[in-house]
Amino acid sequence: MQETATDHAFGGTLAVDAGASSTLRRADDDGQPAPAETRIGLRKLVLYRDDVITEGGRTPDVPARRASVAAVVRNPWLHTGPTADLSAHTTRIAPVLARLLTDRLLAALGGVDRIEAFGKAAIVGTAGELEHAGALIHTPYFGNLMREFLGGESIICFADTRAEAGETLVVPLWHKTHAATRSHYQTVSARVPDAPRADEIVVIAAASTGPRPHPRIGDRLTDPTVSSQNLETLLS
Amino acid sequence: MNIRKIVTIVEEIRTEGGREVWPPAKVAVVAAVIENPWAGQGFVEDLNPGIDANASDLGALLAPQVLQALESPAEAYGKAAIVGLDGEVEHGSALIHTLKFGDHFRKAADATTLLPAVEKRGAAGVVFDIPLKHITDATIRSHHQTVEVRIADAPHPGEIVVALAAAAQGRPQQRLAPLSTEQ
Repeated sequence: MQETATDHAFGGTLAVDAGASSTLRRADDDGQPAPAETRIGLRKLVLYRDDVITEGGRTPDVPARRASVAAVVRNPWLHTGPTADLSAHTTRIAPVLARLLTDRLLAALGGVDRIEAFGKAAIVGTAGELEHAGALIHTPYFGNLMREFLGGESIICFADTRAEAGETLVVPLWHKTHAATRSHYQTVSARVPDAPRADEIVVIAAASTGPRPHPRIGDRLTDPTVSSQNLETLLS
Repeated sequence: MNIRKIVTIVEEIRTEGGREVWPPAKVAVVAAVIENPWAGQGFVEDLNPGIDANASDLGALLAPQVLQALESPAEAYGKAAIVGLDGEVEHGSALIHTLKFGDHFRKAADATTLLPAVEKRGAAGVVFDIPLKHITDATIRSHHQTVEVRIADAPHPGEIVVALAAAAQGRPQQRLAPLSTEQ
């Protein structure tokens, strides 16, 4: 089901997949199962969106909008030790996060056809292992679904770290179907002021509607052959 | 008015103090990163021409966007002006402390009270807190709240970040006695 809403920055229209979020509706108090967000220990969501109007004093030929959406969830693996099998919680939590985060990204960026580049990230709180962050973003239970929901084919590039609450993570993005497209190598920041707490994980999906503001560093198709041999003079 | 970029932030709180918050508590911020209208001019005694040229346009730009980002009627609101290192705090105050800036938000939100504000000077990436109060009665305690903002690459020394914030409700799990119980 598609519904349209006013695109709030520039007055265009955007398509939001309302059916996608309907599976995450809160159950009423009639004995229904708890909503998916509650089951995965979700505390909060933070959307950050950056609309470039001018860069270097000039309007980009292809203005792009970049966004990150961060979800704060409880770390389900605290005190389980470095040999614990992470798969059960991964298969339970990661798909819900993939849907939740991509729903928000699609709404913020104007729908799947507008999205050209994507990336993902996680910040684990200080009581957890980086492996816990990786478990929520590096398996098909997150990555395959994120790629499917955002209409991509590429491997999704990523960043991860362990940090105190309030850390800013710079999330790398690249083209969703042609990862080597140099004009689309770009980043967007994500930050939740009060997360992750030591026992939490921040999971992030990010995307962009276009290239960098003024891309002009060529591409693989236009690059000359570069090697240490033909740059001998410069390197000596 | 030279705008470099517009930043939108939306927070949705689902649990607080370990208890579910439903409907989710939402707070939205929309910030415009603009060139300081008085950059490079030394000490400018009369700020009115710059105010007239920018303040109303900024209010008209930001007010509808922050309400659309919130996707709900606003119950609390606030504003911010963060001046880059080469400017005066007075430059930021000039842009946001006029009725011609704030009236756009008041009208769009059916609000009547003055907008609480933060104004400060800082480097790009400075963290700032926007205070919010109830849109028709600034004594309503449940709606006193704050949202924290950081824009990694703004303000540049010659820029100003001007922001509006709106909340769809009071604090999550608010449970303080109203002011009237102490009077």
